[in-house]
Amino acid sequence: MSVDFLHPGEGAAIEKDVPALELRGIDKRFPGVVALDNVDFTLEPGKIHALMGENGAGKSTLIKIMAGVYGKDAGTIRMRGREVDIKSPRDSLKEGIKVVFQEIALISEFTVAENIFLEGYPTGKTGSIDWKKIRADSAALFNRIGFNVDPAARTGSLPVSQQQMVEIARALAHEARVVVMDEPTSSLTPNEVSLLFTVIRRLASLGIAVVYVSHKLDEVFEIADTVTVLRDGRHISTKPVGEHTNDTLIQDMIGRRIDNLFPRQRGAAGSKIALSVEKLSTAKKLDDVSFEARAGEVLGFFGLMGAGRTELAKAIVGYDPITAGTISVDGQRLTPHDTRTGVRLGIGLLTEDRKSEGLMGELPVYQNASLASLGAFARMGFVDTAKEHRAVQDYVDRFRIKTPSLFQQVKNLSGGNQQKVLISRWLMRGLKVIVVDEPTRGIDVGAKSEIFALIDRLAGEGLAVVMMTSEMPELLGLADRIAVMCEGRLTAIMSRDEATQEKILNAAIG
Amino acid sequence: MRRSDKTMSLANTASVKTEPSVLARLFARQELALLVCLLLVLVFFSVTVENFFSVRNMTNVLGQASLALTAGIGCAIVFISGEVDISIGSLLATIALPLIIIMNDTNSLLLGVSAALLFGLIIGVVNGYLTAYAGINSLIVTLGTMFIMRGGVYLYTGQRAIPDNASLDSFIALSDGRLFNIIPYSAVIAIVLLVAFGYMMQHRPFGRQIYAVGGNQEVARLAGYDVRRVKFICFIISSLLATVAGIILAARVGSAQHTAGLNFEFQVVAATVLGGVSLAGGIGSLTGMALGVLILQFLSNGLRGLGLPTEWQLVITGMIIIAAVAFDEAKRRRANGG
Repeated sequence: MSVDFLHPGEGAAIEKDVPALELRGIDKRFPGVVALDNVDFTLEPGKIHALMGENGAGKSTLIKIMAGVYGKDAGTIRMRGREVDIKSPRDSLKEGIKVVFQEIALISEFTVAENIFLEGYPTGKTGSIDWKKIRADSAALFNRIGFNVDPAARTGSLPVSQQQMVEIARALAHEARVVVMDEPTSSLTPNEVSLLFTVIRRLASLGIAVVYVSHKLDEVFEIADTVTVLRDGRHISTKPVGEHTNDTLIQDMIGRRIDNLFPRQRGAAGSKIALSVEKLSTAKKLDDVSFEARAGEVLGFFGLMGAGRTELAKAIVGYDPITAGTISVDGQRLTPHDTRTGVRLGIGLLTEDRKSEGLMGELPVYQNASLASLGAFARMGFVDTAKEHRAVQDYVDRFRIKTPSLFQQVKNLSGGNQQKVLISRWLMRGLKVIVVDEPTRGIDVGAKSEIFALIDRLAGEGLAVVMMTSEMPELLGLADRIAVMCEGRLTAIMSRDEATQEKILNAAIG
Repeated sequence: MRRSDKTMSLANTASVKTEPSVLARLFARQELALLVCLLLVLVFFSVTVENFFSVRNMTNVLGQASLALTAGIGCAIVFISGEVDISIGSLLATIALPLIIIMNDTNSLLLGVSAALLFGLIIGVVNGYLTAYAGINSLIVTLGTMFIMRGGVYLYTGQRAIPDNASLDSFIALSDGRLFNIIPYSAVIAIVLLVAFGYMMQHRPFGRQIYAVGGNQEVARLAGYDVRRVKFICFIISSLLATVAGIILAARVGSAQHTAGLNFEFQVVAATVLGGVSLAGGIGSLTGMALGVLILQFLSNGLRGLGLPTEWQLVITGMIIIAAVAFDEAKRRRANGG
């Protein structure tokens, strides 16, 4: 029996004692890497099973094998005791395995309703698409879940958080036995997260096996029944969540204890003003924003979704046009307002959207790292590749970037290592101010602390770091001063000593 | 477990937002802008050119446009799937050979047309296989088959036309026959095909799969689509429709010509792009493509009526295409708020 979220009650007879999905002895190798080594993973119907592990632990590979994106090299997959052969996403969907990937997987030109039914359109007697049913079913689905999304909207015109909800809703539009959610909360507001949790619990109560992949420990403790931890492609532990504490979970994930996620090494910030922003406004969002950042300081910007952090980040590096105000780096005005001038003056952006704004995925590591400083490696108009490779190798060693070689396509690196490549790009250029937007989005606990250490080191080396974040611990752990935004305005700036979660949230609400 | 009618009762409790009507959707899209352009062209030449706005001239232009309309359907479908097919011009000349030769031998239109369609099917299979399954870039594949076919036709014919000696009434009717003595049969064929494929693209699951594949191949694959099969079929559709256009052309010139359809692919691509079909895939409609074809065809007819030489028509066509796509791009950028 399977369960269709639109028609609860129709798939009543769920056999409780047979695993919904059972993976046994799964092996997966990629050239030079053992991604999964004899991994077992068993999902009970009606249970929420968290899957955790560091970058490169094998979580994504395991999910992709369940989704039919990758084939397995060895092992067996059983659905309710019956061995199945999953060779393509189509096979996986047919078995009722619905995966909500972290990357938005929707057709942006289609309406929301059409995306919901992408997997299979309801058709009438003649085989033509029943649009009325698609719209009505989508609306009904959203209504049941409590998501407020317009089924007739063009998907691409929606904010990311709503697209994420469409993704989640889509997994429920067809009969599902197993629903896999890969970091579903990464771009949801707190309200939406609690809605999502309600939905997940309801799925479980209908007998669906839910896999919940997240880096957020508190979420896992809140929602999961069972936790499986992978490390370096191997199965480490599967336990009821009650047997874990924060410490034991982190220990399982990284194989050692992290006492302090934010080991501050740097000294106090200097007094030199590196970045000065005055009365900055943009057409759509920012309204009269003024602040200064000093060399050697981490200035953290907090705000809820839509507060304007990303807009601010893009405006101060010269990427997005401004309508009023001035930006100065080391006393020099950023005019004309473009990234070319920005980079010349020494301000760069570490984007929140690595995939589309940061990396050239198909290109090798070294070309991604040297992108902003090709001029420095040029001799008579030609790039001295030997010099370029040496410089990049230097950063790969210093930042311990895990890559088989400089020539590896950067898309094959883990999120944390990609982030390090991007940081190298800017350091190589010799920046004075680096703007980092959500530096740990999609990066796991172990790698997170490395990124934190790196940001700490950047400030220690005398850069002014402007950090946009929606994560309170990150903010309180790293920043010297904290600025809070609400609806495009700056509502508070405070030192870390005077900052409390309460004060920050109050300022963020406006 | 099957989906039941219970779903509808669920829907009643939901706040169903009614989708904008067909008309509203049309207005919101660029089809309206194209329609306005077409009307402007018609009005302008009706005023400036004598006999432009006459049933005879209008239906003549429609007949001339039928080749590009028919082949344009395939061109647009391939574009929407995220690929290109520029082999259609050469295909026009190629399929005329089996068509004329078989008809001359057998005196049967049915056999001739069947042979031509079989030939078109083979080309579609080759283009589709090399692109979708062998993974070669479609521009390169169809550039290659375009040269191979044109070269083959030159070699086979020795650059001499092969006349239609059978002179079957039904074949000749394709060139000068008119439905109710008004609309050329070739235009009727084009319109029927347009409606059929237009319906498929918007209302059949396969049509939407083409849009999905062109819109985002990875997403389509994750949604369980056989991306390669979808693209493969698109190339076959394109070749078969170009074959139909080739049959009409052969009827019109009464022979198989080695120069038939020279540069035809670019006329079709131009009209398709003008019609708002994106080369990037996933965007555009057959309605848009058809309006693009009609705008260029009436423009060319009107300019000739004004006594402007063909050379100028080319220059003006080129400028219009760039302007149209630039306008489109600007509009899209504004809509996306950047």
